[in-house]
Amino acid sequence: MTMEQLALLFFGWRWQDILDIVFNAYILFRLYVLFRGTNVLRVIMAVVAMWIIGRSANAMGLVITNWVMQGVITLATFIIIIVFRNEISGVVRTRSFGFFLWEIPRTQNNTPVRIITDAVVKLARSKIGALIVIPLKTGVDSIIASGTDINASLSREMLVNIFWPGSPLHDGAAVIQGAKITRAGTILPLSQNRHLASKYGTRHRAALGLTEQSDALVIVVSEERGRVSLVKDNRIHEVRDSDKIETLIKQYTGGHEPVKGMRRQTRELLLAAMVCLLCTTGLWLSFSRGMETLANYDVPIEFMNSDKKMNIIDASASKSSLLISGARPLINALTLDQISIKISLDGTAVGKNKLAITRQNVQLPPGIRLKNIEPDQVEVILDVMAEKWVPVQADFSGKLPDGLIMTSLRVIPETVKITGGGLILDTVTTVFTEKIPLEKLTTSGFVNVALVMSPGTLQLDEKHKKVQIRYTISERKRNDDIES
Amino acid sequence: MITKDSNMPEFNARKLFFGLSRFLLFCGLVGFLFMPAGLSLADQPRMILANAVVCERISNFRPVNPAVVFSVSKGEVFCFSEFDPVYEKTAIFHNWYKKDKLIFSMRLVLSVPKWSSFSRVQMRDADKGPWRVEIRDQENNILKTLRFSMSD
Repeated sequence: MTMEQLALLFFGWRWQDILDIVFNAYILFRLYVLFRGTNVLRVIMAVVAMWIIGRSANAMGLVITNWVMQGVITLATFIIIIVFRNEISGVVRTRSFGFFLWEIPRTQNNTPVRIITDAVVKLARSKIGALIVIPLKTGVDSIIASGTDINASLSREMLVNIFWPGSPLHDGAAVIQGAKITRAGTILPLSQNRHLASKYGTRHRAALGLTEQSDALVIVVSEERGRVSLVKDNRIHEVRDSDKIETLIKQYTGGHEPVKGMRRQTRELLLAAMVCLLCTTGLWLSFSRGMETLANYDVPIEFMNSDKKMNIIDASASKSSLLISGARPLINALTLDQISIKISLDGTAVGKNKLAITRQNVQLPPGIRLKNIEPDQVEVILDVMAEKWVPVQADFSGKLPDGLIMTSLRVIPETVKITGGGLILDTVTTVFTEKIPLEKLTTSGFVNVALVMSPGTLQLDEKHKKVQIRYTISERKRNDDIES
Repeated sequence: MITKDSNMPEFNARKLFFGLSRFLLFCGLVGFLFMPAGLSLADQPRMILANAVVCERISNFRPVNPAVVFSVSKGEVFCFSEFDPVYEKTAIFHNWYKKDKLIFSMRLVLSVPKWSSFSRVQMRDADKGPWRVEIRDQENNILKTLRFSMSD
């Protein structure tokens, strides 16, 4: 990459470009926020990586690699929609309008661990079996689809009530997100681990099954023994001391140091925002600066006339063909009103003037470069408006009736005042009338006729739009006819 | 006395001489005052245009049927110009224009003391329209412009 190309990357930015990048970076950031902690985000990252590989392959001319990447990306898009449909629909269903646009959630930080601990202790003491899922980063929406949506505020009584024997939802797991019980009666995937101790029942196997597929924390209360187990990352931690339950839950969910957790999340979000901005900028640059193309535009030449008395009589060219280069999206979005050629007539004189069309005369939007101007010179004929008195001559058509002769005529007024370019006026010596048909003229008389201005740029004085032709017609002597 | 007598004719002759010379000086002054200003010999016109017409024919050195409209069926049209007097041998030009385009120019020599001359053009269908003949002197001054039309 030459220095010129490198410089072009950072110059010629329009405000639209900045808006374009910021807007798309925000969309990307919102997608990250929406799918943060879910498997969808990882797959999207993989797709983006494949897309970058495809683009690089295309730039390097690796035809098959590019083709394969495009196929894989298309396939991956379908796979994401099909495989993660539950996760996607979960995000769409459970999130508010504000969440889509501006809210930034702080996961688990608001989870009232104390209430959960109290409920778990109460359940354990009462030997009531329970299965509580606390999703963390990856979420569980793609894994758990069953159950009943509750969206109830978290309280010890509510939690105990859900798992109370005989309750309609007591058989499944309850999912807690933040300070809400979002779902209950859900069925978790069972672990296929053959080495699981026999003392663990279906609840533990289900908890293990979920942690095999996600980073969620699952709290299990055994019905038989009244023991509490915390299952995380394929491991079962039995908690014998009920006082430690709260500490362990906080430890697993990252909630025991809320200030540090907040800072960590803020850093993470800031980093994500930066990455989104960088990705979008890179993407924009690859689109706008990477795909250089040439285009030819016929642009009208505008003459800037400072001397109002001076008129342009003729110009050798009214348009000039501009060969421009720039990014294809910019070239495609270009309209003629964004390009102009302006030539100043300062310093010109009456008559022929040769004016050069230089780069300074051409106005282009940022990001577009001028390669060539054709023609790069225009010849302009300038003239100053002037007045002139010119004689009028009658213009006849047809034929006088036989035996008649028009012996004299008089035009009133004999001369008229015309206005126009001085150069043209110099060439005009006579103004002619409209055609006067001779057939109707049998006796002396007069006709009022209009004048014809040639060339049309000349203007006639308002008083002299019409003139009167007084003519004398006499009979031809018989001898004349015989002689002739 | 004799002296007086002898002196008398001498006195009268001298008085007459002074009187005559004063009269001549006065006449000269008056004549100088009444002389036309700025008209040197070189500026005097060499001829005076007495008559100029466009006509159908010339017969016996006179124009026949002067007119302002001519039918192309007549075949030709004449421009007749008569100069009286002609002070010295000179030349004039008959410049024929169709609209504003010079079609034909003819040089005609004039001789003293008076002279008539003419030029002519053939008329064809394509010539229909407004015409004019400019009669110019050797210095290209327009003496007269004659305007006419050629019609069907």
